[in-house]
Amino acid sequence: MQRIPTDPLCIRKFKPVFEHAVYKTSVDVVGKYLSGLLIIKRMPDSSSRIVFTNELGFTFFDFGFGADTGFHVYQIAPAMNKKAVIITLRKDFELIMFRNMDSVKQDALTDSGLVYYAFPQSKGVNYYITDPNCGRLVKMQRASDKKPVMEAFFIGNSAGESPDSISIQHLNFNFSIGLKKISAIATP
Amino acid sequence: MIRTLILAGFMFCYFHSLAQYPGYALVNNPESFKVSFGRATASTVSIQSDFSQEKTLTMLSEKISSSGKFWFQKKDKMRMEYIRPYPYLMILNAGKIFIKDGQKENKISAGSNKVFQQVNRILLDCVDGNMLNNPDFQSRIFENGGSYLIELKPQAKNLKELYKNINIVLDKKDYSAASIGIYENSGDQTMIHFQNKSINAPIPDSVFNIP
Repeated sequence: MQRIPTDPLCIRKFKPVFEHAVYKTSVDVVGKYLSGLLIIKRMPDSSSRIVFTNELGFTFFDFGFGADTGFHVYQIAPAMNKKAVIITLRKDFELIMFRNMDSVKQDALTDSGLVYYAFPQSKGVNYYITDPNCGRLVKMQRASDKKPVMEAFFIGNSAGESPDSISIQHLNFNFSIGLKKISAIATP
Repeated sequence: MIRTLILAGFMFCYFHSLAQYPGYALVNNPESFKVSFGRATASTVSIQSDFSQEKTLTMLSEKISSSGKFWFQKKDKMRMEYIRPYPYLMILNAGKIFIKDGQKENKISAGSNKVFQQVNRILLDCVDGNMLNNPDFQSRIFENGGSYLIELKPQAKNLKELYKNINIVLDKKDYSAASIGIYENSGDQTMIHFQNKSINAPIPDSVFNIP
């Protein structure tokens, strides 16, 4: 990879806005399958809540993300209540929500015709990967110090609104999340 | 003084039961109810109905609505087929659970997992009237002019972690379930209402076949 002189913050135009989005969601994790609805909602205090509930109404998890920083577990199913699971989900959502982009060490690198906008995290790096002109968001990636660990994709416009579909694929173990937006099913 | 305290205690219990479920009062003779209920459920072999479901996420001020069709056959067969907002199918049959979510199919043996066993039993007991005999729950029975409300409080630790209580409302005219309310410790709740019920109509076995 080669460093290039470009403003990493150009990727901010791809940042999705989750005012109130409901996704039909399927999760494959180490041979097990979960499905249900995932709701992402911006609260009056500008924090965001993400709730995953199954078709029968059982809540898998309920997370809160502060307006700028912060994370809180409001509720989580006992089987999922493990530190590694919570941290993984938190980091996955932080990536697709374009959070934690304030590091002074942000950078832009090019490789194979793509531009990698790097945002170091407390551990590892979040990458937002675009075409050469920062005109199209190709994918997002979480990486450890050594290698990519997760990739995420948006389908449909994300700039200023919630994407039609979101795909999250972990690269080190069998864990993937597929989200497809559905509309007009929730009545606030 | 003591009589005053006892009277105050009874009054508290009476008004507390009224406040618990507005419009309902504790039944005077729960054993008599159990006999009548047992008689009615003994003669129920099958149930078919439409259902509507509403999940309320309290903190998000969010309601998620869905609907579909429901079949039950004594003693351990149930089919719950969601049609809206998207197809989702669950079949319980002789301790096996089949779930079809769009193209994805999943078969689970209820015996392989204690929580699945308990949830399997709860669902079937709620419908076939056996919930009062389920040792995983402590029950109280309330009534109003047209219905009974059975409140089930979980006793098993793993169920207590998930649910605050499950309430079943029964039509007084035939003791069939009109609704099931699932109340989570978080304050969220799921209400399932059964409509257009058909009791004891024949149901082909194929409805409950697991592929």
